[in-house]
Amino acid sequence: MSPLDRLLADKFLALADDELILAHRNSEWTGHAPILEEDIAFANIAQDELGHATLWYGLRAALTGEEPDDLVFFRDAADFTCAQLVELPKGDWALTMMRQFLFDALEMVRLPWYMESQYRPLAEVAAKIRPEEIYHYRHTSAWVKRLGWGTAESQRRMQAALNELWPYTRQLFAPLPGEAALIEAGYLPDLMRLEMDWWAEVEPFLTAASLTIPAFTKAAVISRTAHTPHLADLVADLQAVARLDRQAIW
Amino acid sequence: MSGNSTRDTQWPRFELFQQEQPGKPHVNVGSVHAPDGEMALLNGRDVFVRRPECHNLWAVPARQILARTAMELAADDGWLDVPVPPDAAPQLYRIFQKTTQRRSMNYVTHVGDLEARTAEEALKLAQRRFAAADVFVWWIVPAAAILVSDEDQVESLFRPARDKTYRQPQAYRTLSQMQEIKRTTPT
Amino acid sequence: MSEAAQLQQFEERIARGEKIEPGDWMPEKYRQQLIRMISQHAHSEIVGMLPEGAWITRAPNLRRKMVLLAKVQDEAGHGQYLYHAAETLGISREEMIDALLEGRAKYASVFNYPTLNWADNAIIGWLVDGAAIKNQTMLARCSYGPYSRAMVRICAEESFHMKQGKEMVIQYAQGTPLQRQMVQDALNRWWWPTLMMFGLPDSESYNSPQLIRWGIKTRTNDELRQEFVNELVPELSALDLAVPDPELRYDEESGNWIYGPIDWDEFWQVVKGNGPCNEERLRARRQAHEDGRWVREAMLAYAEKQEAGLVV
Repeated sequence: MSPLDRLLADKFLALADDELILAHRNSEWTGHAPILEEDIAFANIAQDELGHATLWYGLRAALTGEEPDDLVFFRDAADFTCAQLVELPKGDWALTMMRQFLFDALEMVRLPWYMESQYRPLAEVAAKIRPEEIYHYRHTSAWVKRLGWGTAESQRRMQAALNELWPYTRQLFAPLPGEAALIEAGYLPDLMRLEMDWWAEVEPFLTAASLTIPAFTKAAVISRTAHTPHLADLVADLQAVARLDRQAIW
Repeated sequence: MSGNSTRDTQWPRFELFQQEQPGKPHVNVGSVHAPDGEMALLNGRDVFVRRPECHNLWAVPARQILARTAMELAADDGWLDVPVPPDAAPQLYRIFQKTTQRRSMNYVTHVGDLEARTAEEALKLAQRRFAAADVFVWWIVPAAAILVSDEDQVESLFRPARDKTYRQPQAYRTLSQMQEIKRTTPT
Repeated sequence: MSEAAQLQQFEERIARGEKIEPGDWMPEKYRQQLIRMISQHAHSEIVGMLPEGAWITRAPNLRRKMVLLAKVQDEAGHGQYLYHAAETLGISREEMIDALLEGRAKYASVFNYPTLNWADNAIIGWLVDGAAIKNQTMLARCSYGPYSRAMVRICAEESFHMKQGKEMVIQYAQGTPLQRQMVQDALNRWWWPTLMMFGLPDSESYNSPQLIRWGIKTRTNDELRQEFVNELVPELSALDLAVPDPELRYDEESGNWIYGPIDWDEFWQVVKGNGPCNEERLRARRQAHEDGRWVREAMLAYAEKQEAGLVV
């Protein structure tokens, strides 16, 4: 594998792990959402994310030959490369919606760049994902606006969620080791540019939703190999059945 | 429980109408509970457009719809003589009918539009203008109350459902699998 | 028109195969029967999301996870269509949900059993959804329009539920020793609750004659149950799975697989709320409802602000 391919493989793993873990947290709401229509809507979002994870794992598989199911079900928790933001427990509906919004906004700004990638397979996957993400963003931004303004309680909860999640967003724009080479090759967008685009989308929207963006803080953690204590439990749950029998085809 | 707070409800109902392809009429597929029109369209998409073909969705607050069955009209047509307020201006009404007893998952179908000053007047006019052999149910919907899904969002609203092939029964080969097993199993 | 004449016209319409639609005259007993049946059916779908939903995070491969998510999502959707059908009869969703959460409403007992291993999902798909399809196919012919339409929509989606389960059972029955053991264990626990889904024996089902005359029911409980057993037994046997019924035998003359006695005491215990998971299921639903209260209120508050022009 060329050095660039090696770096691409790492990037695809990170993208896939984010979607997988986020889908995991979202699927925990199935049967417990605030209203029936949202059980249905959120299960759709979770399915889409799983689909996206599968596509990103597929891009990695094309380079390394690793089976997506092996990557998901037989890697140790410490070897996952998801961002800490997605590992956090689902919390209340405000936390879930706010996290989803921040993540969907990221997809909205980066997918158009990905669709222009010099690495064709990446551009193709991005083109496939984009229509679904447009819908996710429409859905979650509608919720954030409404919960921001709704009642004193909903505003309080949304602000608390934003305060809690905000420090974790910096990691979303931190480069993976060697990512600069991928950006140079035209495979990926510049991360500072991406962060500016994301900020330009998110800041006015949250402000218009009557929320206050927390003060800037330096991220405590940048590396995707460092995880919160939550990930180990999550992965144990995720892999519980698969690990019962390595030989089994399910 | 819901009864404790006067403000905790399951949200108002919106009836949903689906247009399979451009040129085909909108048909009523069911209703969703939503706090407002935008959420009604989004919820409607998630509830009703998980498999079937869809090009366009309409959502209407249920309370804005005048619905009458043929039986109701036959039983008492005195209600049709609702006086028209003197200052009422004509507005566009969309007319829907159920004209078949065949089993279906859809209810009334859009047959056309007309101008009238009230929903009752619209129904009276519709009974003449859209007369048909068997009209079992009439729905009269003010066009102004209809929330329409964006034409330029067709791709993100409706295409993803078609790609989820794992939801189709055809994705599962259980029939041929069982046949093979029975064939090779000694009885 | 007199009440008697209206009733006669109503029954003639049904006999002609016409659908009764919201707004049409109907006997109060018809309305009440349907409200009870449809809301119970809706509650069953909602509660039914819980035993399988709990396994989504632990699904053993990406495809199974996706499929299970889609299936549970469908169940929520089915509940949604059914609540809508009941609402057309004059009951509100708030009332129905309150009745469920306060323990006043019934729902299919089969969902009061626990899902103990992954293969339970496989067996539930093939057996429980398979049984539901029989019932639903019959109800698609129901005389009440909204219920019939909900059933047609549900039937179209339910076929995938049964098949994905069956595909898994076939896979596991022919799989590793652990998988074969898991699926046999699941079958042992779900066989009888599935048979009970078809309801009481005809001899004890007092509602049936009127339900049949009013086009709500067209086949009897025992007929559907026998049909189901006749289909499942040969296929389970072909997979080397043992049906947990020591008295099961084939009757040459009728062509039926005669099954052993059903434990109706257990059935009544579970219906009355003493099943293994009744309390847990309702507690989960109550929790979700309570946790969601601020959300529902906030969304409505925003809509009101929007109407008043206070927000965009």
